[in-house]
Amino acid sequence: MDIFGKRLFGNKMLLQFIHSQHRLANFFKALIIPHWMIVGFLYIILGWYVTERAQAFDLTEDIQLHGFITQGYFLTSDNRIFGKSDEGGSFDYTEAGITGSWTPHSDFRFAAQVLFRRAGIGNNNDFELDFGLLDYTILSTVDYRLGVRLGRVKTPFGFYNETRDVLFTRPTILLPQSIYADAQRDLAMSSDSGFIYGEYRNDWGNLSLELGAGIPRGDSVDVELGILGDDFPGETYSELSYVGRLGYETQGGKFRMAITSARVDTRYDPKLLPPDDLLGGKDIFIPVIFSGQYNREKLSLTAEYAFRSVEATGFGSGFDRKMIGESYYLQAEYRFRQNWQFVLRYDVMYNDRNDKNGRKNEAKYGSPAHTWFAKDWTIGLRHYINPSFLIAAEYHSINGTAWIVPIQDNPDPFDLKRRWNLFALAVSYRF
Amino acid sequence: MLIICIMSGISSADNLPVVVVNPTVDPKSFLSRSAFSAIFGMRLRKWEDGSQIKVFVLADDSPLHVNFSKNILRVFPYQLRLAWDRLVFSGTGEEPTKLKSEQQMREMVGSTPGAIGYLSRSMIDETVKAINF
Repeated sequence: MDIFGKRLFGNKMLLQFIHSQHRLANFFKALIIPHWMIVGFLYIILGWYVTERAQAFDLTEDIQLHGFITQGYFLTSDNRIFGKSDEGGSFDYTEAGITGSWTPHSDFRFAAQVLFRRAGIGNNNDFELDFGLLDYTILSTVDYRLGVRLGRVKTPFGFYNETRDVLFTRPTILLPQSIYADAQRDLAMSSDSGFIYGEYRNDWGNLSLELGAGIPRGDSVDVELGILGDDFPGETYSELSYVGRLGYETQGGKFRMAITSARVDTRYDPKLLPPDDLLGGKDIFIPVIFSGQYNREKLSLTAEYAFRSVEATGFGSGFDRKMIGESYYLQAEYRFRQNWQFVLRYDVMYNDRNDKNGRKNEAKYGSPAHTWFAKDWTIGLRHYINPSFLIAAEYHSINGTAWIVPIQDNPDPFDLKRRWNLFALAVSYRF
Repeated sequence: MLIICIMSGISSADNLPVVVVNPTVDPKSFLSRSAFSAIFGMRLRKWEDGSQIKVFVLADDSPLHVNFSKNILRVFPYQLRLAWDRLVFSGTGEEPTKLKSEQQMREMVGSTPGAIGYLSRSMIDETVKAINF
């Protein structure tokens, strides 16, 4: 410290430089707008369009612009989700997006979406390019379609992953966490990749296949928390990963089904030496998801089942593991009146299907038994005020804490309560 | 399913919406329910000659749209809406252009090359080509 001080003192130029840097920093600090102002501003802009009702912008006939914004409120009996939800509730949950699409030619299309997300400590006013891609149609006939997507592409994964941030497209405010865990959200979102997709349709239905290879967006603290359970000195990064989804739906979509699998490769690059840091490790995640849905005018029944293989090696004992998790949910949506919808769901997650009550893993790794499973009964209600405005509420009765998110909001697993309740309220607007 | 027929004489058919295309469109082999499902589901984007298909619809809650979805496409309007939203917000497609009235529908389909939409039978005139299947 002294040495540095003397050196600095002796170097007027350097001092002046540092001083100017400080001024610059202060200038930018003054410019940084509090997040509530950004959020408020977005509301004002979007609210202005409400009077116009849902009408996408067809700027020219080749360009479409869409968007959405959701504000949520979470209240929990114990355990935190998206902020201090256990202390009178948390409004710390905002998601918004602007989506543009340009089709200059019948075979070429460009599409991009910018996402704003505020969700507890894990996502603090993040602006991100959610997707930005070129879609090229190789072949299109009445029966077949074949094409490629290049760039940052959303990950096809089960029924809901690609549009998981849009409340209008998901059945509940909180997606079934057993399959769409928000803790692993960043890895599942999108990847810088190439996809090939194909479709075959016939009188008996529509068959589709998407195959992709790329680098998932996995360089954030969230990923580290999701995979390692803590924010360690080093950084995680993603290696080449793969995903594929085979889908089938009958004509009119009465039955929809899909099988998804992926191989997600995440690495950890330590910064310090043990015991202050982990060793450089590798986490290979291979899920297989089976999805099915039955749709009638008033009723939709949905079920998804997944087994998830996790193999973490090289991190050091206490972190290395090889286990297979199991997840499933059963969900009924009932449109009991026009613009009103009721939802009931039972969602189950086991981090280790050979240790469903978590006791063996508690003994082995130390974290409480209830952090290895979660069973969630959900009831929810939503009302579409008009095609572009909706309000939703839901109540969860939960046994287990396996998917608690984000981990930073709940730093100590021993403070978690095994049985807890969650209430959520959200309003959403889209155009 | 390649049936083009004149539906006169069938009284119940009078209430059903009719698929209309721009007069320059020659739908050829696209005259099946699966093709129209794919077109209005925004998954079939090119006519047989390679030109772009421009899809026009009315609002989700308009009676003609509901009638068209349920009785012609045999899909519930909420399913179409979800399918379009999935395309738009995943970057894999677009939604149809929404129009305000049947008058506007007739005008847009009549004046836009490659256009397809639907109208009540009583609204059809020579500016659009009606398709029965």
